[in-house]
Amino acid sequence: MNINRREFLKKSGIAAAAAFAASQGVNLTRAQDMQTYYMVSFLSGISYWADAFRGMQDAATYLGVEAVYTGTPEYDITGEVRVLEETLGLEPDGVVLTVIQADALQPTINNAISSGIPLVTFDADSPQSDRYAFLGTGNYAAGVMAARYIGGLVDGGKAAVITVPSQNNLAQRTQGFIDTITAEFPNIETGDSFIVDNQNTSEQAASGLAALLQAEPDIRGVFSSNAQAAIGASSALREAGLSDSVHHIGFDFDEGTLDLIDNGQLGATLAQGTWQMGFWGLMFAYMVRNGNIASVADWMSAGISPLPPYVDTGVVVINDTNSQFWRAE
Amino acid sequence: MTVENTSIKPKNTSNQIVGLLGQLVRVREFTLVAMIIAIAIGLELYTGRFFTPLNINAISLGFSTSAVIVFGMTLALVSGGFDLSVGSVFALGGVVTATALRSGTPIPLAILAGLAVGLVAGFTNGILITKVQINPFITTLGMMGIARGAALAVTKGTTVAGLPQEFFVYGQGKLFDIFNLIIIALIIILIGDILMRRSAIFRQVYYVGGNEEAARLSGINVDRMKIAVYTLSGIFAALAGILSVSRFTVADPGAGTGEELRIIAACIIGGCSLQGGRGTVIGGLFGLIFVGLINNGMVLLRVPVYWQQLSMGIVLLLAVGFDTLSQRWQSRPRNRQSTG
Repeated sequence: MNINRREFLKKSGIAAAAAFAASQGVNLTRAQDMQTYYMVSFLSGISYWADAFRGMQDAATYLGVEAVYTGTPEYDITGEVRVLEETLGLEPDGVVLTVIQADALQPTINNAISSGIPLVTFDADSPQSDRYAFLGTGNYAAGVMAARYIGGLVDGGKAAVITVPSQNNLAQRTQGFIDTITAEFPNIETGDSFIVDNQNTSEQAASGLAALLQAEPDIRGVFSSNAQAAIGASSALREAGLSDSVHHIGFDFDEGTLDLIDNGQLGATLAQGTWQMGFWGLMFAYMVRNGNIASVADWMSAGISPLPPYVDTGVVVINDTNSQFWRAE
Repeated sequence: MTVENTSIKPKNTSNQIVGLLGQLVRVREFTLVAMIIAIAIGLELYTGRFFTPLNINAISLGFSTSAVIVFGMTLALVSGGFDLSVGSVFALGGVVTATALRSGTPIPLAILAGLAVGLVAGFTNGILITKVQINPFITTLGMMGIARGAALAVTKGTTVAGLPQEFFVYGQGKLFDIFNLIIIALIIILIGDILMRRSAIFRQVYYVGGNEEAARLSGINVDRMKIAVYTLSGIFAALAGILSVSRFTVADPGAGTGEELRIIAACIIGGCSLQGGRGTVIGGLFGLIFVGLINNGMVLLRVPVYWQQLSMGIVLLLAVGFDTLSQRWQSRPRNRQSTG
């Protein structure tokens, strides 16, 4: 009855791709040798990449090519460089890569490009490298969105941010939130002294927010900038009996976050466009590989990127009115 | 000749050592408790918001799941080893119980399944350390990877939610306005502490950690005891993970990352020695409370978040340094005897 999330995204994605392909006059006939594209990630076990690869697989099915997922299971910089080198040794038709460390992967990325393998990055970038495009979340813009959500619900009081200050993407979300609250909602007080470091665990998020709620009893809004923070902060608010009086928006989603939203312990969360990253990442690589880019007569000789160099795949607000679309079947 | 000597003499001296160390540990706990009380009073005087029921609850909840692991870790440390796999087994125990609950398993059985996984992980650690004689660092580091990997494999990397409401009573329910989680943790600490002070079997762990060869020669089955120690450590790590799921409503295969170092640090602050033979369960709890208070205090005192980790490191080194120096000063002649 309800169109589920997977089908919804699949259909909308395929429809968009089809419209795009039709307008570009793409040749979709299958080559006799099936082209193979690789997704390379670090921390390859975690579910976060699964949604991106699902997008890539959907694009692969549509294009009639093969999508292969590989990577290093640990948070291991040299490990990801090695896996990328091994992947390039297989002479793939294209690579969709998430970057554990921008500088470390730059030489290998440049090798891929110079040997004619189209490579695009997703989620985390190596901006100084020769990669053709980066598809990822504009983290500052995501923080802005969280601020407008809280600002729209809270009238006065103070707002806290739970984050990991040493992590660049989370720091950008935090900055977007604080800047926007300060600029657009001057009656809400926030700032660096309202930041809680959750060290990527639910336990630290809960303890840290609980302490801050003591120090600052006037907190009316909370932005959790990662999934563990959202789960921990929801518990801290529940344990302090404040679930109903403090508005709370999280980041990322999984079944646990969706449950918290549906039973009223978390107001909303921001979902990243991970499926979009994988889907359009493969589309991008495919278009370059198959010579469909004609922005100028010969982009390679012109020395320009064939693709939009930066694509913000955006975030969307999940709340109890639309959460069912994000549940896997 | 030497065999004859060691077989008789060390038994007596190790007895004495344990007796003396027991006294020292009590002194050590006293300084730690004094520091905790001083910090608590200082925070109350300065902020006026320390001794509120909510804040006490928040601090207690903060150390509760860690406290469940402290008993097992104290055993491992006292026996002369340590267990780096507790953070991963914590996650694995949680996801196994949650996955079992999701498939409709009754709550007691699902909890047993999680505990059984902890038992297997700990037992395997024990066998590898004693029978294959791989050192505890490598063994438990390997198990840390295996348990984390298994947690990721069981869940395919995603969190497990949608658990039955009745399961949340352990982590979220209250008895006389105190969270059940806190009560469970304190009961485990209390029983563990009494066992390690009074029970003959658990006292043997101190003998083994103090002088393994002497303990072996005096007839203690060192291997069997160590296997039991690591098995218990695995079971309690899994139990802590299960309780954490009950509190947060979600099983996260990434939960407990870095927990092993936090627990070991708390136990060391509480008087355990990395050389083995010394430490108490209640000391580990005080170590956890001390660290929790520093964290809580930094927020209450509005120390900027960018300075908190730095301040935490300095305070910890100061506390342990002060404690170690005062111990050495108090026990200089005795220490000579024990190491000689």
